Amino acid sequence: MGSIEGILSGFQVAFSLEGILFVLIGVFVGTFIGMMPGLGPISAIAIMIPITYGMNPTMALVMMAGVYYGAVFGGSTSSILLNAPGISGTVATSFDGYPMAQKGQAGKALAIAAISSFVGGTISVILLMLFAPVLAAVAISFGPPEYFALMLLGLSAVSSLSDGSHVKALIAATVGFIIATVGIDAQSGTPRFTFGNASLLEGIDFLIIALGLFAIAEVASLILRRHDRTIQDQQNIGSLKLSKEDYKDIRGPAGRQSILGFIIGVLPGAGATIASFIGYITEKRIAKDKDEFGKGSVKGLAAPEAANNAATSGSFVPLLSLGIPGSGTTAVMLGAFLVMGLQPGPQMMTDRPEIFWGIIASMYIGNIFLLILNLPLIPYIAKVLKTPRPMLISLVIVFSLIGVYSVSFNTFHLYLLLAFGVIGYLMRLFSFPAPPFILAFILGGMMEQSLRQSLTISNGSLMIFLERPITLSLVVLTVFSLYIPVFQNKKKKQLVGEHGEEINS
Amino acid sequence: MKLTTNRKLGLFVISFAAVYLILSYQLPSYAYTLIDADVVPKFLGWLLVFLGILLFISKDHETAEQKAQRNIPKKEVAVLLAVVAFIFLYIFLLEIIGFVITTVLFLFFCSRFLGYQNMKANILVSVLFPITIYTLFTYLLQISLPQGILPL
Repeated sequence: MGSIEGILSGFQVAFSLEGILFVLIGVFVGTFIGMMPGLGPISAIAIMIPITYGMNPTMALVMMAGVYYGAVFGGSTSSILLNAPGISGTVATSFDGYPMAQKGQAGKALAIAAISSFVGGTISVILLMLFAPVLAAVAISFGPPEYFALMLLGLSAVSSLSDGSHVKALIAATVGFIIATVGIDAQSGTPRFTFGNASLLEGIDFLIIALGLFAIAEVASLILRRHDRTIQDQQNIGSLKLSKEDYKDIRGPAGRQSILGFIIGVLPGAGATIASFIGYITEKRIAKDKDEFGKGSVKGLAAPEAANNAATSGSFVPLLSLGIPGSGTTAVMLGAFLVMGLQPGPQMMTDRPEIFWGIIASMYIGNIFLLILNLPLIPYIAKVLKTPRPMLISLVIVFSLIGVYSVSFNTFHLYLLLAFGVIGYLMRLFSFPAPPFILAFILGGMMEQSLRQSLTISNGSLMIFLERPITLSLVVLTVFSLYIPVFQNKKKKQLVGEHGEEINS
Repeated sequence: MKLTTNRKLGLFVISFAAVYLILSYQLPSYAYTLIDADVVPKFLGWLLVFLGILLFISKDHETAEQKAQRNIPKKEVAVLLAVVAFIFLYIFLLEIIGFVITTVLFLFFCSRFLGYQNMKANILVSVLFPITIYTLFTYLLQISLPQGILPL
């Protein structure tokens, strides 16, 4: 009974005037930011966090979820129109979306993307409603060892599945964890690595890391590409109408990839990027008209778009039901929760059902808004891409600075933000992935706590992680995930071989 | 033995880990606590040393594209450094002359510096944006940004 009441209270929240308004704001802002080449969901969420101070936490989170999937959606728009994916999750979208736009069918491509995303989003929200409570019910019995093993798995999976060198990803994760050890130790009260600086006692705020490594570092790339004229020269996008055949072509891929994308999204480490690539490859394998793929195939566009949106909702399953993010983006979402003073996890479903279900219910509305927003407004939104780069760059910098300042009112933290911006940019230059860093940074504190609690229970023996069935299987999976890159490199080479030109152009 | 990019990075990672380890070993640990505040940092430090060595000995897997992105013209490096200097100046002046004036100056000069030609639009955005944000934060969100020398 409790859960039915919970669901109802969630819908009540989501369908209130306030709820609808904030979903609309979130989706709109998310689409807007996501469309900017280079700016992805992590930057979008981090930039929006300061605005939520003092807001009702439920509304703030409903808005944040909107920002998240709005940004994923916005990314596909720039993939199609500019062949410049704002985020890696929409790279596969450009394979067929951009050729279509070149043929003068940009409007059709955008419409297919909007519809497939809607299908992916809606199917996965239904699955989210079924899965999240089940997982939460299991997780309620988890103790510190289970949580530790789970976070370890998430971290190793994200490192294994991120782009580029596996060793570099693990280094990024370790350094992220190291940065998390700065500040007063929560258990013993010992100040660590503060160099006598009072501003470091509470540790480094996650917003500094998120905005520095993502928004500020992205600004540097934007500065280098500020003379890019492709955007200003954007032609008319053409008709948005789809034929009956198009709908028929969309149906299969969008339906299948919504479910597959959702499952991939739930798994730790694998997010929208992998879901969209796998979606693309599987549809290509089973399609009768393989040759069309890469030249503007409807199926080739529908598959990754349904998959990446489904994976986005899927990634909310571990976040909401276990309180553990499985990706860099959900790690920043978790940060947004913690800023509101909320700890997601199994307790949240029972203690604050209106928030738990409110967020999920709001996704229905968000998906409808995305469809409404994107179909008729696309020509106007595309104009947004014409915002002069220099002004955009200055505004993103100011937004990031205000964001950090309004947390701490301390200019020392602003210097730290600048420093992490430089570090983030250098990491990009030398191909160290940033998502494992931010995930390790956010999980670091929790992992250390749960490790020490576990070892206290077991009197210092590491065997505690091998004696319990759940932890044992999680540890085995962790070891296994460290071997994924070997297998994945082969796969990637194959894919890059097929799509070499698209990726490099 | 040639010092490839990976090897240089590996050495850098190892030296960072070494400094961190030295600091970790200076952390106090007490007799009766089983796992004290120093255990996890020490472990992380050694893990990073290990990963640094792995990076040092591993083959360069970088694609041509990844290498190409490090080829930044000198002029552009100067532009990036100038923007860093702008931000530095902004932070320095923020609490002295206040949010509104500093932001107006930053937006105007940074956009102008990066090549924004439209004077009218630049002045309009540079002035209106900070005032809107200031009003929004002060009256709606109840977050007070530094008012500085302006009697707002």
